[in-house]
Amino acid sequence: MSSSSKAELASPERLPLTGADGFLRAFDDEIRRRCGASHVSQLVLRLGQGFDTDAFRELIGRVSRAQPILHAPIRRPGGLGAPIYDLRAASRTPLPVVEVHEPGPRDPERVAALCAARMNQPFDGRRGQLLRFDVLPYDDGTSELVMSWLHMLFDGAGSEAFVEWLEAVHQERRLPSDAPADLPPEPTGAPLGARERGQRATRWQRHLASLTDPPIHSLAGPVRSVRQRLRYTVDTLDRGESERITKIAAERAGFLTPMLHYLAASIRAHDEVFRMRGTDPGGYLVPLPVNRRPKGGDPSPFRTHVSLLWFRVEPELARDGKALIEALKKQRRESIRDGLVEDGHYAMDYARFAPKRLYAHMARRDLAGELCSFFFAFTGEFVAGTDTLCGAPIRAGFHAAPVPPSPGSSTALSHHRGRLSLTHVYQEGALAPEEQEVLRETLLRALAEPD
Amino acid sequence: MSDWTREALTDKVFEILRDELLEAAPDFTPQSDLIEAGLDSLAVTQLMLAVEEATGVWVDESLLTPETFASTETLAACVHELVQQG
Repeated sequence: MSSSSKAELASPERLPLTGADGFLRAFDDEIRRRCGASHVSQLVLRLGQGFDTDAFRELIGRVSRAQPILHAPIRRPGGLGAPIYDLRAASRTPLPVVEVHEPGPRDPERVAALCAARMNQPFDGRRGQLLRFDVLPYDDGTSELVMSWLHMLFDGAGSEAFVEWLEAVHQERRLPSDAPADLPPEPTGAPLGARERGQRATRWQRHLASLTDPPIHSLAGPVRSVRQRLRYTVDTLDRGESERITKIAAERAGFLTPMLHYLAASIRAHDEVFRMRGTDPGGYLVPLPVNRRPKGGDPSPFRTHVSLLWFRVEPELARDGKALIEALKKQRRESIRDGLVEDGHYAMDYARFAPKRLYAHMARRDLAGELCSFFFAFTGEFVAGTDTLCGAPIRAGFHAAPVPPSPGSSTALSHHRGRLSLTHVYQEGALAPEEQEVLRETLLRALAEPD
Repeated sequence: MSDWTREALTDKVFEILRDELLEAAPDFTPQSDLIEAGLDSLAVTQLMLAVEEATGVWVDESLLTPETFASTETLAACVHELVQQG
């Protein structure tokens, strides 16, 4: 562990944000100022019969009292240094809300409206508003649980580890105080000194800047001040279709690296909309989150532990499925070989110390007014560690990856018990309804028929 | 044709996994299941890069099947075959 990290180890009173948290906090600040909302991530669990809402509410209360990070104000003490979770001040903030809605008939519009409302509602991290739950019970005894959080509290893997740990506490296999260890992972290899860390951070910054020439254009870009109005669609495929796509992804990209097939399909889907518009995307620039937790350990749920790998492909490649995936594989391999995963970690680690608005200014400058072409995430098997939550079987579930109003489009994919779910989050108005449909149809087609 | 024997490659792969890529439990052996041990997308590419550095041959991840990850031994056997093919 580096000396800077040693000095920042968690105390009972404060926990520093990770570099990735700082990155997301800058996003959140931009969205708050420009768009009147927050950078909120969401996880939806479709539960069978038997969900014990009273037990769940009581569980969240117990866990939140034992884990103050769940409602700790995020501050930068004295305006200097890295921002922190003020754990001591959490004793004066409300616990995360669990709102149980009125029972009713199953209605996809109702849950979609609720999810959109939560995704577009401000969460004030300075007051410890980091996490909330909505339970939608249905007349047939089943229910849906919507977990919404300010994105820096959990990354995708962390949110799932949290759900698995909640169930372990509910089943009395773990104590509320017994959360998996939460140390910031350091890049492998020998610890680096400040100078070398700085050099690697600078190298990452230069790499990123090199990817924006010529400039790219997103479907909703460039960055501007508009009210955030995100919505999403989710397609959960049947087992047969899921198996077929998973097999294609493994053959094309690799059993452990299928995300490149999914990313290629997402690029082709966006390209189809650009072609429909008759406008030039300039190129496709997409960040891919990389889970940086130690492999094989008890996964730490809290804070985000990711780096970013950036991909850039020219529009011509989007029309050649085979060449596209080969280009993505080559870029990923070279980025990992060149140490860009670690460089990204060092860059974000340093950037925590920068004022949020300087951070945003640098991003806009380096990216020529855009953030990227679209957001993308693949989170693998969804809550693989548990089949139940508070008495109910988990029948399905998915993530909704948040996206700022520009680039205004994100795709996220995950599996659950042999079924593939695709979520498309978009800024209302950024895509015409027919463009939205073309994007969805092209994504499904490109997944199943990659050539 | 590479100079690497299957046994030597198994030892090399095991050493990289145990010492560099995985938070290996004390009971991690060449027979341990690699997915259960935490091998993921980043780690498998880092492993193939290390194999390339040692043997001079890049093994594309798409050539590795689910059965390959049953253990270090099965993974090394597959990689050895591909390395021999050059």
